[in-house]
Amino acid sequence: MTAVQDPPVAVPVAAPDVRDDVGVGVPRGRWFAALLRGRGLVGTVFVGVVVLAGLLAPVLAPYSPLQQIPGANLLPPDAAHWLGTDEVNRDVLSRVLYGTRVDLLVLVTAVPLGAVTGSLVGLLSSLSTASDVVAQRVFDILLAFPVLILGIALAAVAGPGLTTVILVIALAEIPIYGRLLRGAALRVREMPYVEAATVVGAGRWWVLRRHVLPNAIEPVGVQVTVSLAVAVFVEGAMSFIGIGIRPPDPSLGSIIADSVTALDANPGLALGPLAVVTALVLGFLLMAQALAAGRRT
Amino acid sequence: MSANVLTIRDLRVSFPGIAAVAGVDLAVRRGEVVALVGESGSGKTMIARSVLGLLPESATATGSVELAGTEVVGAGEAELDALRGSRAAMVFQEPQTALNPVRTVGWQLAEALRAHGVRSRRAARERAAELLELVGIPEPRRRLRYYPHQLSGGQKQRVVIALALSGEPDLLLADEPTTALDVTVQAQILALLADLRDRLGVAVLLVTHNMGVVAELADRVVVLHHGRIVERRAVSELFARPATDYTRDLLASVPRLAEGGVPAPRREDTGEAVLELAEVSVVYPGKRGRPALRAVHGVSLAVRPGEVVGLVGESGSGKTTVGRAAVGLVPVSAGRVRLGGRDLAALSRAELRAARRGLAMVHQDPAAALDPRFTVGESIAEPLLIHGAAVGTRVADLLTAVRLPAAYADRRPGELSGGQRQRVALARALALAPRLVIADEPTSALDVSVQADVLDLFDELRRELGFGCLFISHDLGVVDRVADRVAVLRDGELLELGSPGEVFTAPRHDYTRALLEAVPRVPVRV
Amino acid sequence: MLRYVASRLPSALVVLVVASILIFGLLRLVPGDPATTLAGPDASPEALAAIRSALGLDRPVWEQYLHWLGSLFTGDLGRSYLIGGSIADLVLGGLLNTVVLATAAVLLAVVIALVVGVGAVLTRSRWVDALVTGANTVALALPTFVSGVLLVLVFAVALPILPSGGVPPLGFAARPDITAQYLVLPAICLGLPVAGSITRFLVESLRTELAQPYVLTARALGVPRRRIVLFQALPAALPSMLTALGIQVGSVLGGAVLVEAIFTWPGLGSLVEQGISRRDYPVVQVLLLLSVAVFVLVQLLTDVAHAALDPRIRIGGSV
Repeated sequence: MTAVQDPPVAVPVAAPDVRDDVGVGVPRGRWFAALLRGRGLVGTVFVGVVVLAGLLAPVLAPYSPLQQIPGANLLPPDAAHWLGTDEVNRDVLSRVLYGTRVDLLVLVTAVPLGAVTGSLVGLLSSLSTASDVVAQRVFDILLAFPVLILGIALAAVAGPGLTTVILVIALAEIPIYGRLLRGAALRVREMPYVEAATVVGAGRWWVLRRHVLPNAIEPVGVQVTVSLAVAVFVEGAMSFIGIGIRPPDPSLGSIIADSVTALDANPGLALGPLAVVTALVLGFLLMAQALAAGRRT
Repeated sequence: MSANVLTIRDLRVSFPGIAAVAGVDLAVRRGEVVALVGESGSGKTMIARSVLGLLPESATATGSVELAGTEVVGAGEAELDALRGSRAAMVFQEPQTALNPVRTVGWQLAEALRAHGVRSRRAARERAAELLELVGIPEPRRRLRYYPHQLSGGQKQRVVIALALSGEPDLLLADEPTTALDVTVQAQILALLADLRDRLGVAVLLVTHNMGVVAELADRVVVLHHGRIVERRAVSELFARPATDYTRDLLASVPRLAEGGVPAPRREDTGEAVLELAEVSVVYPGKRGRPALRAVHGVSLAVRPGEVVGLVGESGSGKTTVGRAAVGLVPVSAGRVRLGGRDLAALSRAELRAARRGLAMVHQDPAAALDPRFTVGESIAEPLLIHGAAVGTRVADLLTAVRLPAAYADRRPGELSGGQRQRVALARALALAPRLVIADEPTSALDVSVQADVLDLFDELRRELGFGCLFISHDLGVVDRVADRVAVLRDGELLELGSPGEVFTAPRHDYTRALLEAVPRVPVRV
Repeated sequence: MLRYVASRLPSALVVLVVASILIFGLLRLVPGDPATTLAGPDASPEALAAIRSALGLDRPVWEQYLHWLGSLFTGDLGRSYLIGGSIADLVLGGLLNTVVLATAAVLLAVVIALVVGVGAVLTRSRWVDALVTGANTVALALPTFVSGVLLVLVFAVALPILPSGGVPPLGFAARPDITAQYLVLPAICLGLPVAGSITRFLVESLRTELAQPYVLTARALGVPRRRIVLFQALPAALPSMLTALGIQVGSVLGGAVLVEAIFTWPGLGSLVEQGISRRDYPVVQVLLLLSVAVFVLVQLLTDVAHAALDPRIRIGGSV
């Protein structure tokens, strides 16, 4: 019977175990070649389109996201408003574009923050047993809070808002990267080539720097794409239940929340942000799958 | 052709880009044992697999394989299922993984019996107990309820054989049935197979690379090389008068125990011991409810400068632990380890690091011996870089010393063969001109012919550079060849210590005698 | 086996205790006076004084913590000052609804996983395989709030064949067919990502098992492939699926908040939402603790189940 394997890319995700081939397999070509073929390409395109739309929001949006257009209440999509208007007379397309922009901001700050912090903690804690045990317990505690529950708890203390969202995502990522890097460190340390180096006099830092780190980077790459998908989900969910980005600032989650009661009046209000969120999450997951598959061959 | 249990005609098996089997003709008669011999990559396993249609998905087979009158190549799953187990059955190499770990032995036997038409539970239980008895498992009825992990390696292999016999096949396909077992257990399993052949008249197609096993069991031998048959003869003829150079090489490269006579001493004893173990014990603490494991108990031995001390024992004897304790990879619970006279435990971290300049280790597994991300040159240069020594031409020199082209420095481990990787590992070990090398089964994972080359190289380098070595191996023949002195370990205790001549011709312990007896003997050529 | 269970307990307890401390500390971390935080800005001075003495806010913090913990154990979950009523009543009111929803979602996910997973492995057709993988990825990728809104759009607005929200008016047991109508959309919404995840897991586990040497042994003995998949690979792959399911419970807990909001399902999820929007900390604290406790307990149970199913741990005694 096999031990628990890498959970396949799941949203929300739990820490995947380090694959058994960390530190043994031969690196084959450039890893991002996988992103330019098949599933990976589809994912990259999805993500690329959305990112572009978000970056170019100031150029592409016909109106300001906060502008209320007199007389335009819950209009269905038409020539002037491609996605219609919402319940306080704002253009949905513009709001969606700017909401995407904010999402990108969250992704770019929260995920690297969590990834780098978690990785450092995981690597450094693996150096001594004491720090390892402490770090593991801390990870356990963080992981005992399902991501959304964690969001609720933090929002209760710090209040809703952009920084809270970023903090929640980063905190949720830390144990995942921590476990990942720690697992990689432990596996690589048991490899014969590390033993051979230790016998000749290599210290722990040398091993960490020259053997563990390079071999652990690959699984981190896959995990980053998964984390990006999770981050989109978390921001959306938190804004959806009102503890994320504060109104009147646009955010994909809050627009979806508003749309629930207005589905028959203006379905565009829902479909716009739904399409963006789906494209992002699906895109990142496809990229993650392509990268993971690329490592296996 | 009813005298033939199996007839193979012009069998070709290929994978995309590789021809594994390139036109093989073979026949096995009732009750005879035919050995299929060759190195890895010779195609012998594929031939065995194709008899039951068990080739991997990516393989294509052409030609004819006739088993009990039915053509196997191109047959459908249902036809094949009818043949499998009942006309021919396979015995696999790794008993550890051949059995389902979450099902009892009895259940797995019942499943096999069910596939051969025995449906009633009671009848299946009866027959299963009979089968276990047939293969020599004591208390068969009780063992039916056991799970595989509760059995020893030898017992697991017996169960695998019992499974194979459940359908009363005419032919057993044994794919390296004893390679993964300890030497003493090997002997038992071989005896069992011979016994079954005599009692049940079962034919055996024995796939192996071990010439000793061939000598003991086979009637006829077929030698394979790169998917083609090179030679086929009766066993005694093959050993006495091999017809081709390849066969001659294969026979010559099997390390043999020198029989009789004490070989000339190889080196003068000079100076202080490079390594000294004094009453060393290593205990692994128990965790999660498992008891503590006493791996090494009160072992004392010394390695003098330039001397090779062979450490032999079966798996679990503690030999690997001794090697690791000697270089401080594992802490000792009692006793002292002295390197060049200095107590290992008393050294500060800086002192230990400096002391390690004189040490090196070579591992068994060439696949994991080198960091896949490093080039060959980087791997070899690593010890130099760790101690801040200049690299210069050292890498090229070392590559030459291990008889590899200097241009290999830019290659990666994945591009090299197992034997080449071991040479690189050797080069790396010698980078700082060590005084002590720990070699942990350095050739066990290599093919027989490659083994010989690497051992030759090792011998030569040792003479040239004069390093001491603790050579760990389970293969008595290999140790006999390279060691100046031999230590025999069992269950963590040192039983014998002396020159190979002394230990191998006049052992003091019964255990050592049993170990020697279990080594399959290859008849020396006239 | 018992030793294995016992070895798992301490870390679970540590996690629970630390989590409870953190959750307890929430109220104290909010800037300002806790009593005002609890009662709202318009509370009268007498009400504030009453709160102070009820919570013992003048006593040292660790005493307050122990007091709080103690009263939780005796069933006194405290009062909700802003929503109103005893918290125990509020929780009990929503508990049944959430449990029904969560159970339906999990059962649905398990059934889908078993049927689709085993089917995908038994079939030899690459076409079916690609279809399953594709559907799986989509199920995984769709966030709960996305699929929920889409489901309502399609099945309640575009083709109005199912109710867009609410619980069955006559309770769950009275008219099962009506219950099913109300339950189906929220259960699918909540269960879909779980189904996607564990199906994927199961398929990978099954494929790994089928690549194991013992499967080759069985095939070499003539055991038909279907029997091998159902009676050997599946039992061996189930424990991993179970563990994955345990982890997915976290997604169910969080997802319940979202799903109950979309489908106006009056359970604990919507209670939490009320608590957040009204800043009713006692309610939020109790529910947070409850969800963490459930999650930790489920992990422990799946761990134990995993061990129970593996005879190497259950019986021990490796040679």
